[in-house]
Amino acid sequence: MASLSKENHVLFLLIVGLLGWFLPGAGHLLLKEKKRALIIFATITLTFCVGLYVGSVGVIDPVGAKPWYVAQIMNSPLVAVLGHLTAGGGFPVYGRPNEIGQIYTGVAGLLNLLCIINAVYLAHLHRIELAGD
Amino acid sequence: MSAIADFVMATFTAPENIRTNPQSMLWLLPLVAAIAAAYKATKLPTITAGVFLKEVAILFGSIIAFVVITALVLYALAWLIAL
Repeated sequence: MASLSKENHVLFLLIVGLLGWFLPGAGHLLLKEKKRALIIFATITLTFCVGLYVGSVGVIDPVGAKPWYVAQIMNSPLVAVLGHLTAGGGFPVYGRPNEIGQIYTGVAGLLNLLCIINAVYLAHLHRIELAGD
Repeated sequence: MSAIADFVMATFTAPENIRTNPQSMLWLLPLVAAIAAAYKATKLPTITAGVFLKEVAILFGSIIAFVVITALVLYALAWLIAL
């Protein structure tokens, strides 16, 4: 019984993490942290969109800028769809717009990674509190 | 509706014209605001508008102050080396 409960707990943490990755803030929303979820969603989505606006979708480059792509894909798995679209080099971007676009989209992804870790940690704490009651 | 959708999509398929000049460093400001907001959203025990805005403003100011101080130190070093 205890083993099953532990498995459920791990599964719940996994679901929280995956939800937070699929949609920024969704992990916190699952934990009924509505304000946090809204702030995280608005901040990360806006930062990512500003990056795409400045540098175009060409800043998502899984071939020529792999380290940036790793950070960008932390925003959402949907970034992989954009990466597939731009992999052929159809959206060339150079110079300062490329730098700013990559920095914005990359930092948005890393912020989302921070939020995913925070959501999983909060889910773990909630569980411990429930077990303590 | 289709024309609006096409226009929105087009803005994301061509890069903006940003020149490499000191003014382009101002793009740092919205990014720092985003970092401060996301970080404080994860760190505050309870979120109320007043406390959240105050904490974000303090963190935003701290980061900008650190960036300015670092820039001044690097500028002074470059000036000394060039003497």
